[in-house]
Amino acid sequence: MSHQQIDQFAHRLDKGVRDSVLGGSAAGTEKRRQVLFGDLPNADSLRALAGRIKQHTLEHLDRYLEAAEERLIDNGAKVHFAWDAASACQQVETLLRERGVRQVTKSKTMVSEEIELNRHLAEKGFDLVETDLGEFIVQLDGDHPSHVVKPIIHKNRSQIAKTFERCGLGDYNDDPETITRRAREYMRRKYLSAEASITGANFVSAESGRLCIVTNEGNSRFGLAGARVHIALVGIEKLVPDDRSLSLMLNLLGRSATGQNLTVYTEFIRGPRQPEAISGPEEMHVIFVNAGRTETLASDCREILRCIRCGACMNVCPVYRQSSGHAYRSVYPGPLGAVLSPLLAGSARFAEFADLPKASSLCGACNEVCPVDIPIPDLLLRLRDRAHREHAPAAFDDAPNLKPWAMLAKSPAAWRMSLRAANMLNIVPLGFLPFGPLGRWTSQRTLPSWRGGRYRQWAAERKKQKNNPS
Amino acid sequence: MNDRARIFSAINDALTPLQERAALPELDPAQWVCPSRLTEGGSWEDFRRNFEAVNGTFLTSFEALSRLLRDANATEGYADPGLLEELPETFRDGLTLHETIDRGSIDRYAFGITRAHAAIAESGTVILRDLDTPDRLAALAPWIHITLVAKEALFSNVTEAIDDLGEDPNTVWVTGPSKTADVEGILIEGVHGPGIQVCLPI
Amino acid sequence: MMTCLCDAFFDDVARATHEVLESLGIEVIVPESQTCCGQPAFNGGDWASARQVIRHTLNVFQGDCPIIVPSGSCAAMSFHGALLAHEKETDLPQVQAFGARTWEICDFLRNGLGIESWEGRLDARVAIHSSCHSRGTGTPEAIRTLVGSIAGVTLLDFTQPEQCCGFGGTFSVTFPHISGSMGRLKIDSVRATHPDLLVSGDMSCLMHLNGLAEKQGSPLPVKHAIQVLRDARVTPVTVQ
Ligand code: SF4
Repeated sequence: MSHQQIDQFAHRLDKGVRDSVLGGSAAGTEKRRQVLFGDLPNADSLRALAGRIKQHTLEHLDRYLEAAEERLIDNGAKVHFAWDAASACQQVETLLRERGVRQVTKSKTMVSEEIELNRHLAEKGFDLVETDLGEFIVQLDGDHPSHVVKPIIHKNRSQIAKTFERCGLGDYNDDPETITRRAREYMRRKYLSAEASITGANFVSAESGRLCIVTNEGNSRFGLAGARVHIALVGIEKLVPDDRSLSLMLNLLGRSATGQNLTVYTEFIRGPRQPEAISGPEEMHVIFVNAGRTETLASDCREILRCIRCGACMNVCPVYRQSSGHAYRSVYPGPLGAVLSPLLAGSARFAEFADLPKASSLCGACNEVCPVDIPIPDLLLRLRDRAHREHAPAAFDDAPNLKPWAMLAKSPAAWRMSLRAANMLNIVPLGFLPFGPLGRWTSQRTLPSWRGGRYRQWAAERKKQKNNPS
Repeated sequence: MNDRARIFSAINDALTPLQERAALPELDPAQWVCPSRLTEGGSWEDFRRNFEAVNGTFLTSFEALSRLLRDANATEGYADPGLLEELPETFRDGLTLHETIDRGSIDRYAFGITRAHAAIAESGTVILRDLDTPDRLAALAPWIHITLVAKEALFSNVTEAIDDLGEDPNTVWVTGPSKTADVEGILIEGVHGPGIQVCLPI
Repeated sequence: MMTCLCDAFFDDVARATHEVLESLGIEVIVPESQTCCGQPAFNGGDWASARQVIRHTLNVFQGDCPIIVPSGSCAAMSFHGALLAHEKETDLPQVQAFGARTWEICDFLRNGLGIESWEGRLDARVAIHSSCHSRGTGTPEAIRTLVGSIAGVTLLDFTQPEQCCGFGGTFSVTFPHISGSMGRLKIDSVRATHPDLLVSGDMSCLMHLNGLAEKQGSPLPVKHAIQVLRDARVTPVTVQ
């Protein structure tokens, strides 16, 4: 059968996991749509507008990144830059070590997944706890998140209850409320004892240097209320030009991600706390992380850097729904990941992920919901072209060779002949069908009967009749 | 080359070949004001509706607040010292109010009363700033969080509130109780922060 | 433009297109040298081959009369995909001009000719599957309006209408399991409304869905939208 890894993965996927993912991603689609379009009558033009703002920012990133850096320094924060994952991990480690920190809380950040920060810090003997409930469960299981907004979409309550039991968080109990309360109890001790808290940032305003961080649980806020050192890991593409842009982005993000008009906790952080404040970090460090982004910026798929990680594209993606996030073998799953993962991997490892852009029927549902209007199908196609030009083997597992077909399609005489010959022999000419190999088609479906050239005949007859009406 | 120089030079290399660069579009914030959420012209009535839609508890009197605390068996809590004089004697009767949060006994506080800088009618949001709420823990650790907000401090929409962000190093917008749907998509309130979010305009 | 799929399998769809246009007093020209819009190679990532086919098609359809296609997918290939494939090529303007003349048939009837309702009669419960490549075009609304306006037609709403049927060209053979599962989901939601007819503007979706349904042992009654329009109004013809 198929050798495409994602199709294989989907085929072998545990039924329980498939049901969780299918149900979990489909749930709320209608609500998100209603909230977006019900609240904002011209939502489509706002998506386009937000896309243009982000595109503009990316195409002037030098300017905006520098402005944000200056503002943050003015506001009393320390700004660092990390070229790649290793550098980012090292810098976090050094900051913690220099301050004698051992206990750390961390609220959900996708860039920390990219750089595998948890593994790095654990190896170096730090005690880091993920504070987002889903990420906490992922951490306990030694697993990986399978969705950018719903990290444990692939797990059900009984698996979670077993994990909690195993990790000493109480007897087996699969009531979601109990699970949540137990995490609450556990986590508040951590917030108060941790000396440092690591966060990401959803946006950074170049105008004010403001970091904007959103969570529903309040975990980022609590982490930052407890700790004295704040380290924010921020991908360099997170910038927006000004605070006004934040207003639009926030309006779109909550609605697209979870059907909320705003996420519950929306934090705006300009710098370390003021001396009068009783809680909050005295030190704020922002590490701007590259990790493949400049290479993506140089590519003809730079639009993907507009992404604000709302997860809407994976929720509606029929391929994601069937195959789950882990099928994509990378931090970012779904349509977003199918574009971003091969690019972030960099030219040296592009080939390894060159099959991801193939895992799409190009249905365009992702583009329709994307709050920053990323033309994902177009980007998937550009990457397919690139994989083809670079002869990336992963992209060709099982893919029909279309050269013979193209030869036929540009030689009308041969094309017609093939139609006729097949008719006489009553076969389906394989070179003709762009969907071959035929067995792959018929393994799942029947094929309609061959009627090659019939319309041509009819049209020719019709023309004759018209020319000589008798 | 250090990481910073390397990143800036790579950005430059990436952007230099672009023949044209996308212009910054005009922003007209009126475009993303939600008409259906502001049927009363951005009043407290709008706030109430939108706040209740996110399961916020909107109260208009200290009597109502007393009842809520009594029903929840909440007798001991925190009140921002700057707010004490706003709290009527009758309300304080029978309550143990602390003016600081002791990090060692965080579970002692059943409620926290803090001052909100303002509220947003369109989204049902209360705005907390470090300047007004010196101890962030007071708004996070107790199960019940009560914000008092001046009646005149109401923004109609999100953009007005953004324009007002100002110089405070830390502002947080709170739109309802802390919540999660991580377990099978089932909504649970009160994850790390409060399970009950009260707003009382004064 | 008849599309390679109609050239090979669904001659009656091309013929219905022809007949409907003629019945409206439009002269139909069928260039003999036409083959395909180039989409299979384009979607497959072989853009170099795709461009060869697109250039051939460009050549065949010179002039300035509208080009009508009985497929939302091939139409989208002409006015969107071909432009993408040629974005760095010098003949991009010709490709753009070609795309600007290309219409999906129902979009043409509704938005090109301004037809608002369709005469004739069809007593049937009809489910309409909007093909993904017609997203954002005039086609889905055109099909609903025109087919829905036929006397006797009841339009049915099935769940998750925005979900793809799983065809996706070469996707259907390189990702057979996912493609099959997607199709079966679609079939289930369509069947739940008990339609007499499943209608779409793309034979590719219908070929895939009916192919799956037949494999399950119970075929779906499918028709292209233009066949429905033709059969309702023009004297029904027996297909040879
Ligand atoms: S690509 Fe668009 S839809 Fe997908 S996560 Fe990013 S912003 Fe959301």
